[in-house]
Amino acid sequence: MKKKKIGLHLFMAVPAFVLYGIFFIYPLTKGIGMSLTNWNGYSAPEFVGLKNFVDFFGDARALHDIKTTVLFTLGSAPLLNLVGLLYALLMNSKIKGKSVARACIYMPAIISPLIMGYIWYLLLQPGRGILFTVFDRMGHPEWFGNWMGSYSTTMLVLVLVNVWQYAGMTMIIYLAGLQNISQDLYEAAMIDGAGAFARFCRITLPLLIPSIRINVVTNIIGSLSVFDIVMSLTGGGPGYQTETLSIYIMRMCYGSKTGYSTAVAIVMFVIVLVPVLISLRLMKRKD
Amino acid sequence: MFIKKTIALALSLALAGAMLAGCQSNTPTASGSGSQASTGAADGEVVHIKLFTGKIETIDVMNEIIEDFNASQDRIVVEQEYQKDASNVIKIKFASNEVPDIMTTYEQGFVDEGKYMDLTDLNEFWDRMSPEMKAACTDVNQGKAFRVCTNMTMAGFFYNKDILAQAGYTEFPTQWDEFETMLKTIKEEMPDVTPWFIFGSEAWHLGHLIEFIPHGYLKSTLGTIECKKAMLANDQDVLRFADPDGAMAVFAQNMLDLQSEGLINADVLTATNDNCVQDFANGKAAMFSNGMWALSSVLEANPDMADKIGFAPYPAYMEGSEPVVLSAEDSGYSISATTEHKEECIEFLNFLFSADNQKKYSEVAKAPSAFKDVQAEWAPANIVEEVNAALENAVNIGYTNEKPAGFSGDDAGRYLQNLLAGQYDAQGFAEAYAQAWNDGMAS
Repeated sequence: MKKKKIGLHLFMAVPAFVLYGIFFIYPLTKGIGMSLTNWNGYSAPEFVGLKNFVDFFGDARALHDIKTTVLFTLGSAPLLNLVGLLYALLMNSKIKGKSVARACIYMPAIISPLIMGYIWYLLLQPGRGILFTVFDRMGHPEWFGNWMGSYSTTMLVLVLVNVWQYAGMTMIIYLAGLQNISQDLYEAAMIDGAGAFARFCRITLPLLIPSIRINVVTNIIGSLSVFDIVMSLTGGGPGYQTETLSIYIMRMCYGSKTGYSTAVAIVMFVIVLVPVLISLRLMKRKD
Repeated sequence: MFIKKTIALALSLALAGAMLAGCQSNTPTASGSGSQASTGAADGEVVHIKLFTGKIETIDVMNEIIEDFNASQDRIVVEQEYQKDASNVIKIKFASNEVPDIMTTYEQGFVDEGKYMDLTDLNEFWDRMSPEMKAACTDVNQGKAFRVCTNMTMAGFFYNKDILAQAGYTEFPTQWDEFETMLKTIKEEMPDVTPWFIFGSEAWHLGHLIEFIPHGYLKSTLGTIECKKAMLANDQDVLRFADPDGAMAVFAQNMLDLQSEGLINADVLTATNDNCVQDFANGKAAMFSNGMWALSSVLEANPDMADKIGFAPYPAYMEGSEPVVLSAEDSGYSISATTEHKEECIEFLNFLFSADNQKKYSEVAKAPSAFKDVQAEWAPANIVEEVNAALENAVNIGYTNEKPAGFSGDDAGRYLQNLLAGQYDAQGFAEAYAQAWNDGMAS
C-alpha cells in the first residue's frame, strides 16, 4: 500500500520534473555542448574543445567586464539590503501615510528597468537633462557636473539607480520578516531595560536572518546579471567602460560568436554561483 | 477518494502533455514539405511566401504593394514580417530552420555560407539598373549577385546654409584644414552655435564616421573593389590601420583636435540622435554627418529648414586625397537559397520592382531609386540639387560589407567613443582598432 502511494506521488511529480528538465537540464547540457564549439549562430558548429574558455581568460574586454560587474554588485547588493531594511523599519513603525509611502517605494520595482533607465537618462543627461536644466536655471550648471565623465561616477549613478528601482522589493521581504516577529519579545526586552539599539541587535536582526538570506541571495544574483539598467543608461559605454558580462554575452552571441558567448555564460553561471553559495553557508552558521 | 485520485492523475497527464506540445521538430521531412516559412507547393494550391524586413520606414508602403500583388492574382500570397532587430533575428531564423523566402537582411557571412540564391542571371532586374548599383550588389569574392537593391543612399555633411553664410562661407570646404578653419570661424562668430554636432551616445553614428572618413579615404585611394579585396584578405600592408601616419591615426588626431578646441558639442558622448535633430532644426548646430534617412526627421522638426539645408562631401583629410561622399546601395532584397518557391519569389520581386511601385517606394524611403526608369520626387528639389552636386564633386564610395565577424559598425563606434572619452591617444586608438579588426578576422 505504501509502495503504491510512493509510486503515485512520483508519477504526480512528473510535470515538475518535465518542467525542470525542459527549462534547466536541457538548456544547461545543450549550452555546455555549444560552449565547446565555434558556432557562429547559423552555420554548422565545429568542436574546439576548451578553446573558448582559454580565450575568455585572455580577453581583456571580458576581464574588464567581470571587474565592472563585480564592482556593480559590491556597491549594489549591500546598499539594496541596507536601504531596503531602513525602509522596512520605517514602514513597520507607527508613522502616518505608511500605505502611500510603501506604494511609492515599491512602484519602481514593477516598472520595466529598461523604461526606468530611459526615464533616468532624461533626468540625468549631462548638459540637457531635467536636473541639469534646473541647476542651469539656478545659475549654477557646474553643480551638475558630468557624471559620465569618469568610470567611478558612471558606476555610482548605475548603482544608485539600481538601488532606487529595487529597494522596494527588498523592503517588502524585510517587512514581512519584521511583521512575523512577536511583539512580546520586544516588551520583555524593554522590561529588562534593553534600549532600541540593543533590541534591534539582539531581537530584530537574528530573527530577520531568513529574510536577509533571501534578500542577499536574490540581490547578488540580480546585480551580477544586471543588463537592462546599464543598457538603457549608458549602453555599456562610453566605449566598453561600463559594459557588464550580460551585455558582453548578448553582443558576442549576436556578433557571430555564439559558441564563445555560451562559454562566457557558463563562466558567469559559476561567478554567480560562488558568492551565492558562500553567503548561504555563512548565514546557515548564523542560523 | 478514487475520484480525487483520478482527477489528479488526469491533470498530471494533461499538464505533462501540454508542456510537450510545442516540442515538435523543425527538421525538414523526407517528403519535402520542409521547414521553410512558405507552404503549399503542390499544383493548384496557394503558395504562401514570407518576406522578412528590418526596414521600419517602408512597412506601410510594402503592405500596400503586397496587398496589390495579392489581389492581382490568386496563386501566391505574400506576407510581410517586420523585426526591429532584424539582423539578429535572422540568425535565429537560420539556426531554427525557419528561413523566410525573401529578406532584406544581408551579411557577408551569410553570402559565404551560401544562404542566398544567386540572382546574377536575372537580367530583367539588372538591365534597368545603373552599372554602379549593379556592381555594388555583386559579391567581390564570387563575382555573383545575391541581392537586388531598390535604392541608393548618400551620406555626407548636412549643413545650415544661413549659418555658414553668416560665417562668410558660401561653399563648403573640400580640405580638412579649411574645414577646421570654418568650424573655428563659426565658433568665434556665433558662440551659441555648435559648429559640428556629433551624437556619440549612439555607437552606430560614430561607426559611420569611421566608415565614411578613414574607410572612405581607403576606398577613394585604392578603388572600391581593391579596397574590398584588401579588407577581405586583411592585407594590413595596404590597409595600414595601426600605422602612426595611417588613415586611422590621422583621423583620430583630427577628432581629438576638434574636441580640444571645442569645435564639436561638449556632450558628444551623451548626445542622442534626437538632440542632434532638434539642435540642427532650431539653428543651434551648424552641421552634422548622416545619411539621407535623417532628412525626414529634420524637416518634421522644422519644415522651414527645407530651403536652408545644404549637403556636402566629407573633406579630404589625408595628403593627396579627395573629398568623399557615400553613394551606396540601399534596401536590398535577397531570396533564400533553400526556398521551394523560387519562381513565385521572382514574380513578386518583378511586381515590387515595377516603375510605378518603385516611385512610391522611393518617395516613402526618401532615397533615389536604383532603377534608371524610375523618376521619384524623393526630397525637396533644392536638396536633390545639393546631393547631385556633392555626388559630382567627390569620390563616390560604398559601404564596407567586408568587416570581420563580431566587429560591427557599432563596435567600431565604441572605439571612437573611447577615444573621445580620453581612453586612447590617436596612436592608441589606431592600434586598438587594428587589433580588434585582426582578432575578428582570425576568429
